[in-house]
Amino acid sequence: MSFFSVKKLSKSFGGLQANHMIDLEVEKGEIRGVIGPNGAGKTTFFNVVSGFYAPSSGTVEFKGQVISGLSSSKIAKMGVVRTFQRPALFPDFTVLENVVVARHLNADASLMNAIFRHNNKAEAGNLKRAKEIIDFLGLEQEQDNLAANLSHGHQRVLGVAMALATEPELLMLDEPVAGMNSGEKAIMVDHVKKIRDDWGITILLVEHDMKTVMNLCDKITVLDFGEKLAEGLPEEIIHNKKVIEAYLGADEIVA
Amino acid sequence: MLKSSSGFSIQFWLPVSAIFVFLGMAPQIVSAYRLELLTIFLINVILAQSYRLMTTTGDWTLCHYILMGVGAYATGILAKKFGIPFYMAMPLAAMITVGVSFLFAVPLSRTIGFAFFIASFALGEFVRHVWLKFHNPFGGARGVNGIPKLEIGQSGDWYFIDFWEPTNFYFFTLIFTVVVLVILYRIDRSRIGNAWKAIYADSELCESIGINVARARIMVFCVAGFFAGIAGSLMAYLIGSIDPHNFEMVEMVYLIIWVVVGGVKTFWGALIGVISMSLVFELTRPLEEWRPLLFGVILIVFLVYMPGGLETIIPRFKSFFVDLFGKKEIS
Amino acid sequence: MGIETLIQSFANALVLGSIYAMVAVGLALAFGVMQMANFAHGELFMAGAYVVYVLYSLVGLPFFIAVIAAFPIVAMLGVLFERAIFRPTRGNVLAGFMATAGASFIMQVLVGQQWGVGLMRSVPVPYKGSAEFLGVAVSWQRLAIIPATIIMVGGLWFFLKKIKAGKALRACAQDTEAAVLQGISINKMTVLAMFLSGGFAGVGGALMAPIIPVTPYMGHVYAVTAFIVVIVGGMASIEGAVLAAFILGFIHTFVSTLYDSVTATMVGVLFMAVVLIVKPTGLLGHVKV
Repeated sequence: MSFFSVKKLSKSFGGLQANHMIDLEVEKGEIRGVIGPNGAGKTTFFNVVSGFYAPSSGTVEFKGQVISGLSSSKIAKMGVVRTFQRPALFPDFTVLENVVVARHLNADASLMNAIFRHNNKAEAGNLKRAKEIIDFLGLEQEQDNLAANLSHGHQRVLGVAMALATEPELLMLDEPVAGMNSGEKAIMVDHVKKIRDDWGITILLVEHDMKTVMNLCDKITVLDFGEKLAEGLPEEIIHNKKVIEAYLGADEIVA
Repeated sequence: MLKSSSGFSIQFWLPVSAIFVFLGMAPQIVSAYRLELLTIFLINVILAQSYRLMTTTGDWTLCHYILMGVGAYATGILAKKFGIPFYMAMPLAAMITVGVSFLFAVPLSRTIGFAFFIASFALGEFVRHVWLKFHNPFGGARGVNGIPKLEIGQSGDWYFIDFWEPTNFYFFTLIFTVVVLVILYRIDRSRIGNAWKAIYADSELCESIGINVARARIMVFCVAGFFAGIAGSLMAYLIGSIDPHNFEMVEMVYLIIWVVVGGVKTFWGALIGVISMSLVFELTRPLEEWRPLLFGVILIVFLVYMPGGLETIIPRFKSFFVDLFGKKEIS
Repeated sequence: MGIETLIQSFANALVLGSIYAMVAVGLALAFGVMQMANFAHGELFMAGAYVVYVLYSLVGLPFFIAVIAAFPIVAMLGVLFERAIFRPTRGNVLAGFMATAGASFIMQVLVGQQWGVGLMRSVPVPYKGSAEFLGVAVSWQRLAIIPATIIMVGGLWFFLKKIKAGKALRACAQDTEAAVLQGISINKMTVLAMFLSGGFAGVGGALMAPIIPVTPYMGHVYAVTAFIVVIVGGMASIEGAVLAAFILGFIHTFVSTLYDSVTATMVGVLFMAVVLIVKPTGLLGHVKV
């Protein structure tokens, strides 16, 4: 049984076919990158596999169970969580509070507990884990700041922290370094590596930044015009004629 | 914000204690008529705070007053037609209100914003028309009259308490109000309370971290409905008879006025709103015919100029008093 | 139901549908142009009735002059709503809606204080007698509402389709940003929409003044119905409002005849719920409520 597989995935919006018959398999512990030129259908693909859209046809499976068509909260419960490109956080809560809220799946969110607070140990555990995640991602300095006051780079890291708070097995990152300067990019790359190396979480990411992708990913899938164009190790992809053509146009071929 | 223990400052306990003392001594200080008004005020506090809880997810309804009516009618019918004593009738009525709230919430949770608002109005009106139409069991336009008074034991028993006595019913209501406020406060500060606030901030993000938004919205609706039902129960026992006229739209508008004037961001806003508006209501009794106009102006002024409500200016008052008395905030 | 009752109900339904249409189109227009939901729409209706009461009953002007006068007078009230309430709360539909609830209180008190609250002002019926056909009698007064509605709603249709300002209104309703880019002033459009909204509601009330009791609270039930009509028809759709007005007018009339008016209201609400479940955008609308 494969860890995460996408089978013959297609997605159309009205007359526009954004994804067509895409197959993809991710192994446990892998860092997989999905790239492609503008308009290749990466964003749509990401939104479908992370549960935001249902596919028009085909399935997305996680550990043998079909997750396509399920709600995001259901998928998160099963261990698959995504981050957002936009600043996705709770602006009026502090960084620590944001991560604690994200511990929802691992907390007692019942009404009884809300009134009687008999389950205080669980909340203490959640607070501890939230702090661990914040330290792991280097956000301790910002812990008690309001999320709205963070720099853009830190906000993206907070987004990752919140996703980690759900204790995912598969983490999906939506253009994790978009809009970052080279310093912030390097930090994010480090974080992503650590997340896989230290905590064994599988990563699937969609990204534009080639250098980051080559640096970070074990394997790369390339999309073009909504279809899978190529797949393989970074060194293979970078020398793949079809990939080069797709990015540069058919006129120039760089050996 | 997530602190679950109540680390309140002296600036909180001082005025609160003063209020408690006043409330405790009220039966000695005020007339029986005023005492009944005070009891109604306490019921309104419960209602307003329950409404405020629901607004933390950003859901404003126009059917909340009708839900109080469901609690009132349920209590009246259970007590009068079935002779059920209050300690069973009240919880039962509250659960019935939760049931109706759930029936409302399921279709409503598919809508947001204005659609949610208008649809809740339609559902509420439907229920009110059900009361109007069906003489059995609701009594049609005449409603349910002669609701048996609340009492513990029989006269002659040493433990007999007759709650028809204004003082007794007042303290009964006061205890309920305090307990309800404590419960609502704890819920507001809890994990689920923060999840509701998170939904208002970014519901898409909430879904992706595993919070089932639709289910949470239904839950907050039902919890708010429960306490509206309690308020309705108290009202039924206090007044002794209820009919559909008690629950017309104008009452719902007043509820919204309390909550808008007070503010919903902090827990205490709704309380501030009920207190201030009740005071205005009483003080303008001589101008009774002009009163709705005054409240209409208040509502417009607040919505246009101070949409955050009075609670937004409390921090300014707080710092004013801190400067005046030089006390440090222990929080 | 005997054949005479059937024809009587049919005629009554046409009249009721016409009034519903007259009151609802203004609401649909205002909501379509800039999401202005007017809780006090019923009070604009009431204002129109009082214009007739004052100008016709008290001052003695001819009835149809009073009705025509109701349009600009109540239209200006609508403009006042726009400036004082809708413009400052633009972007927040709920705030505007609740603020107009405050406005409804204000209007009810002002009218009540000026012309009396408890007693219904009765307006003498200008067109006495009834038309008799097929064994059924419908008063001329009520029958007159049908052509009045046709003329007004037809005029609105012409305005929206052929006149520049009307086309600008439709542009604003379809795509506000694009309209701005084309040089259309949003403020002018909102003022115009509320002008028309008030005018139509006012004429509706004016026409009904001799038929129903004139009190400061007479507008409430018509406002509620107007909202139901607009939701069923499609929040921003004028054609939808007209269609829904007649459907609901027929439902209300026939259910009232068979049972009673309370049941009729309940059926109307149920009908709205069914429409919303089956087609959340309303019968002819494309804007999800």
